[in-house]
Amino acid sequence: MARRFSRSIFALPVAVFLVVGAVLPLLVLFMFSVFTVEDLDLIPDFNLASWRELFTNPTYGILIGKALMSGLAAAIGTAIIGYPVAVGMARLPPVWKGVALTILMTPLYVGELVRLYAWRLVLGTEGLLNSLLKSIGLIEQPLKILLFSPLSTALVLVYNNLPFMVLAIWISVELVDRRLIEAARDLGARPIEAFFSVILPLTTPGLAAGSFAVFALAAGDLLTPSLLGGTSGSTAMAMVDSLFGTAFDWPTASVLALALLFALILTAVILAKIVLSSRGARAALSGGLR
Amino acid sequence: MSAASRFYLALIGGFLYLPILVLVVFSFNASALMSFPLSGFTLDWYVKLSGNEALIHGFVTSFLIAQPVGLASAALGLLAALALTARDFRLKAAFVALLIVPFLVPKSVLAIAGVMITSRIGFERGAVMLIAGQTLVFLPFTAVILTAVMVRLDGRLEEAARDLGASPFQTFRKVVLPQLKSALTAAYTVGVILSLSDLTLSMFLAGRTQPLSLIVASAFRRELSPELNAMQVVVLAITALAVVATELLRRGTTVARVK
Repeated sequence: MARRFSRSIFALPVAVFLVVGAVLPLLVLFMFSVFTVEDLDLIPDFNLASWRELFTNPTYGILIGKALMSGLAAAIGTAIIGYPVAVGMARLPPVWKGVALTILMTPLYVGELVRLYAWRLVLGTEGLLNSLLKSIGLIEQPLKILLFSPLSTALVLVYNNLPFMVLAIWISVELVDRRLIEAARDLGARPIEAFFSVILPLTTPGLAAGSFAVFALAAGDLLTPSLLGGTSGSTAMAMVDSLFGTAFDWPTASVLALALLFALILTAVILAKIVLSSRGARAALSGGLR
Repeated sequence: MSAASRFYLALIGGFLYLPILVLVVFSFNASALMSFPLSGFTLDWYVKLSGNEALIHGFVTSFLIAQPVGLASAALGLLAALALTARDFRLKAAFVALLIVPFLVPKSVLAIAGVMITSRIGFERGAVMLIAGQTLVFLPFTAVILTAVMVRLDGRLEEAARDLGASPFQTFRKVVLPQLKSALTAAYTVGVILSLSDLTLSMFLAGRTQPLSLIVASAFRRELSPELNAMQVVVLAITALAVVATELLRRGTTVARVK
């Protein structure tokens, strides 16, 4: 054999598919963003009006800010709720770990719409929660704020993304060397001290990965706010959608989509960097894990 | 493990399944109004559903779209996993970054950008675009599943085959592929399940094709009906069967490997 066959060649068709399907369309957005629209027709041009609009019209900034806020809320919410779940799962006997993983991941396979639909049955004025509160006499009138509000959007964003966060943290809890925890205990640390000085610092890479993914997924979600957010449901994504579809203003739609994407990636990277800058994360990533 | 942490795990488990449970309960509830208290048990909604041709046609469409999506995302995922586990892959970091793009970029942005290009070059939206779009978005998931299994394969088996004179293709077919059978099935199933559960991509890419999620979405905006609940429960049951089957297959490999 002249040259040893390498499996890395298989990356080529996949890379071509990804470039044509995902990277190219994103690059083309740049091109469309400087075109002009006349009589429902897109004319090749170099016009920066749409970009100027982005920086002068406060609506766009506010919508992008809103998307980032809901992404942050989802990332923080899932981290707080999910962290104890991940630690608890790591302590389960091996047989139960598989079961817990299946229980955790199955809701992800339930249709996007089915989940939203089911939450309407839980949160609606005659839904489960209101009936429950009424029957124990806590409220007289059904709480309308439960559904079609920023509250319901945040709740469902946390619900939708919790499995991703738990999975990311769980993997890094499993990687923590048990002997480090035992050493801390032997040296007289109480369980809570061992947790804060060993487990938490060493699991920050998982926390960072989880926050990164959940933030991006939640900030870019189109359906949840539009179907459950009520009047507060106008989002940057919905605006891109209407500019693109009904208004046929592709240049502005492209600009807004790109701006959202930039803001999203920038914030996600900063978020991950902050979490990773801790001492424990550096130790974990430099091989202190094994 | 302490009682407190066991209680917390159960609580979160309840949170994850609460909406699904409510859905199932109302599909058997003997009232068209979806409110508490419940009014009794009935199978009427399922009987009505069996006569609803629009919903059934939508389900068949979704199912037919999900098959090529499952196959293509498993096949591309396999190629990605083969490359990612190659020892001499110098551009690995760049390839991983590329694989993450469809996961991190909002699906709606990807879909809109894709439609902008294809409509400029005069390509119609429809089943073909939906299948390509879903395959693209689900590829990161199948690639992770297959890579996770491949990194744990014993490399010495491959080396032994090569030492005994097998060609790279023979090594792959007779040594690697048999060990990947259940991981491939799992990847295919995940592709199918994600395809059945998708709405965002369908909204932009389906064109005149009407998968179930689109039909239900238009009903969702107007009126909730127990018949829709019944439809969702049927879809859920099919999904659950697929998940359990995949899990059993996955366990099958784990056991085989340990032995």
